[in-house]
Amino acid sequence: MTAEQFIIDDRENSLFRVNREAFTSEDVLQRERKEIFDKTWLYVGHESEIPGKNDFQTRDVGGRPVIFNRDRHGDVRVLLNTCLHRGSSVCRHSSGNAKIFTCFYHGWAYRNSGELVNVPGNEDYKSEPAAVYKGLQSPAQVDSYRGLYFVNFDPDAPDLLTYLGDARYFIDLAADQSPEGVAILEGTHKYSLKANWKLLVENSIDGYHAKSVHHTYFEMMMELGATPPMLGKETVNGVAPAGMGTEFPNGHATLMYPANGLPLATDSVKQTLAGLRSQAEQSFGENYANAMFGLARNSVFFPSLILIDLSFGLTLRTFHPVSPSETLVTGWQIIPKGVDEEFVRYRINNALTFWGPAGLATPDDVEALEQAQKGFGARGEVGWSDVSKGMGKPVPAANDELQMRSWWREWNRRITGQQLPTEGTSFVPFDKQAADA
Amino acid sequence: MTSVSETPTITTRNAVEEFLFHEAGLIDEWRLEEWLDLFTLDCTYEVPATDRPDADPGLTWSLIHDGRTMLEQRVIRLKKPEAHAEFPHSQTIRIVGNVRILTQNNESISVTANFIINRAKAGKFDTYVGRYDYDLTPHGSSFLIRRKRAVLAHDMLDPQGKISFII
Repeated sequence: MTAEQFIIDDRENSLFRVNREAFTSEDVLQRERKEIFDKTWLYVGHESEIPGKNDFQTRDVGGRPVIFNRDRHGDVRVLLNTCLHRGSSVCRHSSGNAKIFTCFYHGWAYRNSGELVNVPGNEDYKSEPAAVYKGLQSPAQVDSYRGLYFVNFDPDAPDLLTYLGDARYFIDLAADQSPEGVAILEGTHKYSLKANWKLLVENSIDGYHAKSVHHTYFEMMMELGATPPMLGKETVNGVAPAGMGTEFPNGHATLMYPANGLPLATDSVKQTLAGLRSQAEQSFGENYANAMFGLARNSVFFPSLILIDLSFGLTLRTFHPVSPSETLVTGWQIIPKGVDEEFVRYRINNALTFWGPAGLATPDDVEALEQAQKGFGARGEVGWSDVSKGMGKPVPAANDELQMRSWWREWNRRITGQQLPTEGTSFVPFDKQAADA
Repeated sequence: MTSVSETPTITTRNAVEEFLFHEAGLIDEWRLEEWLDLFTLDCTYEVPATDRPDADPGLTWSLIHDGRTMLEQRVIRLKKPEAHAEFPHSQTIRIVGNVRILTQNNESISVTANFIINRAKAGKFDTYVGRYDYDLTPHGSSFLIRRKRAVLAHDMLDPQGKISFII
């Protein structure tokens, strides 16, 4: 039995509360699987992970095992990694290059574009399997935006571009950082979290926790002579030093604030970055380049794709519930292409000081979320979480919670059908008309 | 193939083990400043990504790639109560075994060993396993660590979730 009301959105008193059952209920998770993960656009991978013909990666997306690959013509595919015969995985490597996927169980073989091309003992079938079953299936919809590939298991869901709406600009602000585009680095962070997946959504777009949870990181930054996040003095493209949170339709949201200096950057690194910035100014104009290199951004693309774009690194993160109290997280690092090795080394060293399960910040986030999950044991008595910060403000700051409320209202709409009005307007930190031209 | 007598032995496995066991003890006892003193000033401390164990951790999205400065910061942080993931400290006990000297000369001794570490905290009990690669340099009657690399024998950090202690 679960409570029917998951959100209290009290505009009169500027109070927003989330029912803690949302984080613990098995029934809620079943509904999330059906209404969210089966119906929204889910991130699969980036084109740079499969650069050549016949390259592949395997991973789980929305609970389904998939092959993310390029076929022999170079076209990107997403194939469900299950043999049409008895279901076994047809590709058991995490990455590689293959023209044919052969199921090791009975030898059924598929082209990497999916077609079933060989069935041992085919003569024993009155109805030929290849004619009946055709080939490996794909999710109902497969699409990409700026090299990021997504799937949707709902054939009737609106297309990807419509779904992203203006939130797509925050993908642009990453993808445009080099005229050659961006690429995912080799090496993946894969780790479990003993907490509900929605706690990580909140944490990924939370500015409020930074000073407290990442206290030691802030101290370290100051010791190394750099300005910690959100403590700068300048306004950039209309974004004040304290930053802002903003919401978009469909549950996407962003927090942004003026980016700070690069700790320990050599002259060579500063030059490389200056070079990227000046190229961006030439291609897109100063206003857009300012947004790109002058602002730090944490974005969520509903339901669980996180893009964190800071001066010291660019991380992409996605995660999926294993159970109400367990989540599996995957994190990647993105690099603008065409930079030299020194720049890549610098970015990695810097980014690792913060991110990742062995960094100096992420483990503290994990600790906070796992402690919250523990605290939900008392939800019978303390049943609601507060997500009210900044409610009623004309311009919520980066350490307010508008971005979480945006996400929760969409979650609530999908789970209960209840439509809650948005709080304010979306903010895109550059002149859209100029950029779209 | 050079014969054994043409390659002078700088040290013995016993001496290397003594050092590695001493290092392990310092870490498990959370005597991290003394542990830091075992490293050279040009040291690196590395943990490659679980899916790219042989790659350069400075050029891939690895787990740890600390030079001396960052290693010091890591230790400074772990002494603070605000290092929330490790406050209070977790309990760790590690076994360092299968120690072998691969090469040795007057400047450098390369050593490989296996590790198994158990970490206990707040009801969580996790095991971490892998291989250590060390580049040691002779220092007085003992050694200093120029490079310590911990290669995890894990697909992913599940159920461990994090490496917030010194591995």
